[in-house]
Amino acid sequence: MGDQDNIVIKAERITKSFPGVRALKKLDFEVVRGEVHALCGENGAGKSTLMKIIVREYIEEEGNIFIEGQNAKDLGIRGVQKLGLSLIHQDLNLIPMLTVAQNICLGREPVTRFGTIDWKAMRLKATEFLTELTSEIDVEERVENLSISEQQLVAIARSLVTSPGILILDEPTARLDLKTSDQFFSFIEKAKKKGLTVVYISHRLEEIYRICDRITVLRDGSKIITSRVNELPQTDLVKYMLGREITQQVPKEKVPIGKTRLTVSNLFPKEKGEDINFDLKSGEILGIVGSIGAGKSEVARAIFGADPRKKGTISVAGKEVRINTPQDAIREGLALIPEERRDQGLVGSESVRRNITLAALKKKFCGGPSWIKQDKEIQAVKETIKALAIATPTTEQEVQFLSGGTQQKVVVGKWLMSDSKIYMFDEPTKGIDVGGKYDIYKLVVDLARQGAGVIFISNELTEVLSLCDRILVMFNGQIIKELITEATNREEVLFYVMGGRDYAETANNS
Amino acid sequence: MQKQPITPKDIINNYGATFAFVIAIIFFSFTSMGFFSGQNLQNILVQSTSLGICAFGLTIVLISGEIDLSYAGVIGLVGAVLAGMLKEGHSIGLTTLVCMAIGLGTGLLNAILIVVLNLPSFLASVAVMFICMGAERIYNQGITTWIRDPEILSIVQAQVGPLPAGVLYLFVLFILCWFLLTQTRAGQYIQALGDNIDAVKEVGVRAQLIKFMIFVVAGLIFAFAGYVETLRIGGAVMYAGKQLMLSVLAACFLGTATFKAGKANFPGTLIGAFFLYTLLSGFTGLGMKFYLVPVAQGLILIISVAISSVRRGKIEQVQF
Repeated sequence: MGDQDNIVIKAERITKSFPGVRALKKLDFEVVRGEVHALCGENGAGKSTLMKIIVREYIEEEGNIFIEGQNAKDLGIRGVQKLGLSLIHQDLNLIPMLTVAQNICLGREPVTRFGTIDWKAMRLKATEFLTELTSEIDVEERVENLSISEQQLVAIARSLVTSPGILILDEPTARLDLKTSDQFFSFIEKAKKKGLTVVYISHRLEEIYRICDRITVLRDGSKIITSRVNELPQTDLVKYMLGREITQQVPKEKVPIGKTRLTVSNLFPKEKGEDINFDLKSGEILGIVGSIGAGKSEVARAIFGADPRKKGTISVAGKEVRINTPQDAIREGLALIPEERRDQGLVGSESVRRNITLAALKKKFCGGPSWIKQDKEIQAVKETIKALAIATPTTEQEVQFLSGGTQQKVVVGKWLMSDSKIYMFDEPTKGIDVGGKYDIYKLVVDLARQGAGVIFISNELTEVLSLCDRILVMFNGQIIKELITEATNREEVLFYVMGGRDYAETANNS
Repeated sequence: MQKQPITPKDIINNYGATFAFVIAIIFFSFTSMGFFSGQNLQNILVQSTSLGICAFGLTIVLISGEIDLSYAGVIGLVGAVLAGMLKEGHSIGLTTLVCMAIGLGTGLLNAILIVVLNLPSFLASVAVMFICMGAERIYNQGITTWIRDPEILSIVQAQVGPLPAGVLYLFVLFILCWFLLTQTRAGQYIQALGDNIDAVKEVGVRAQLIKFMIFVVAGLIFAFAGYVETLRIGGAVMYAGKQLMLSVLAACFLGTATFKAGKANFPGTLIGAFFLYTLLSGFTGLGMKFYLVPVAQGLILIISVAISSVRRGKIEQVQF
């Protein structure tokens, strides 16, 4: 690192603290021109905080940041943007009511010589950036009508408007489907050749090793190591992130498969999907894979009564049941741990205790019509916290201050409390760090061992392959393939996820 | 991205309130005494002016995701000062300046309380409303003051072509507001603020400054509404703003039920203002007692808020 001109971002001994949240401690960080630099660490390690300090959304308490050699103390948000720095947040921060073009050009609207907005130029500009990302989204469409994957692309396109020299991406692929991810990676590779510097925050090992040159690992607000990616084996990386060694990624164990718990026949979800048929046995973990927009969540929501369905019957333990609302589903022993847990599964400003007992309050802890037996409630919550190893200081901690993985466990705790027998996890590990993922896998396996049936919806093939007994592949709203995990492999699953037909034949021909 | 085909249901959903407006006009033409006379229709327009102007001020604030109820106080205070200063013999020029200064002052006060000190806009603006009502009472001692100079009254009452000047102000202000919102950068940011303020901050726009300016501009518009209202009536009646309080809210929320998926918008507010007086005028023609007017307005407000909430609810995903 002799060449000082080549260091585009330099952070020196940065310290920052928030009330109740882990801080950055005298952290050093350097990014060299033209590299793709991965930033790794568990949730709460300080990755996002560091990036927000670099783009001046937060101000450090101690230390110095230099962008292109200039001290960031003198630069505001606009100032660092002028130096070519652009951050794409984890939460997309788009404006749902405005069109794609309006969102992409927000803050940089082209104007006519009268000072009014030049709509034509705006559309052209937006189209140009989307084309660069090989996307064909209609720029006149309102953002609220786009899929999550498309929204992510719009957010990326917006950051390109400033023609940045340095792009900071905070988990961009968490929202992209597999096909779009591929397009996105080839865009990054192209842009890198043109001299773009990228800081890439990700939880996905596969991507890091595919597109990154160097990597910095953070833990508890400190830097652990910076290394070239190809000199750092995956196992070491995980070790540095966790500070402890994980020998086995997923703790799958053989569980005897019992009687049928759930049968779904001729299900047509209202939003997307047709003629879904499958069953789920006790002790079984059934994976549902497919790219974003394949209709996985829609199936789960339709079964749970969260969305209306066009038709279809659902049987629990061989008996047909009527499920029209989530309340019906809960009564039948179903549980859905939704993808957007913060919106749909939790009351953020309430305590861990309140959240865990929410669904079972009436059934278990009410003395009179509405009298809550607090002692009993607290006792039960404490047991749940212990059983699930929920990392919370007290039962009264507000859940919004807990990490993503811990929040996920609180949602599960809620369903455990209400004695569910069929669990549907929708992308439970999305945006969760390695340690948190491990805990969730363990939890899923435990549930299966206790005789529950588990539906595990995921986009990450690795976890599905090592966790599930059976895998259903969805494409375009239909189940196009059922695979037995023991008799398949990664390539075959991916083949079907991408909409392929007849893997054996294709493999033989090539 | 596939375009959804437009179904009849969408049309009813999007323009339902506009249809209701047309149906109401037809209904009253047949049933209500003298409803469809040119005089009555002009009355509806004239009565809607100050209400409409004031509702535009509120609409800007609503679009940005806040609320400002101070107009109910500002209108009365401006009216009292206008009539009072003229009675004391001050020139109309100076008086007009003072009236606008009141709007600027209350707007700044709201902006400081809500944007700088971060108080909830509902409470802060209600407090400012009461302060203005108190000031009005102190200034005019609770006495109605009339303005008799026809030249001054003609500022609002003069016929310009087929319409009184006041109605013209309403339309000019409408075009200005609509243009600002849809054709300028500032307008984009105001819309965006109401949806997702973080997104606006993130692109380096000074969101707080824009919000500050919104309250100041709204204050000025409220003052102008008070000015027009006073000259339309020809004097300052005690607590004139209070009379308009419910109507302005109802007009804005009728507007949200008219266009644009349950969001406040200028064309909607304009139609909402006309619609409101059409209904009131129609019901009066049918023999509704004057003391039932607030009841009718309250019902209209509830219905329009309900319509726009249902429509928002349809767009957002069902949550559980």
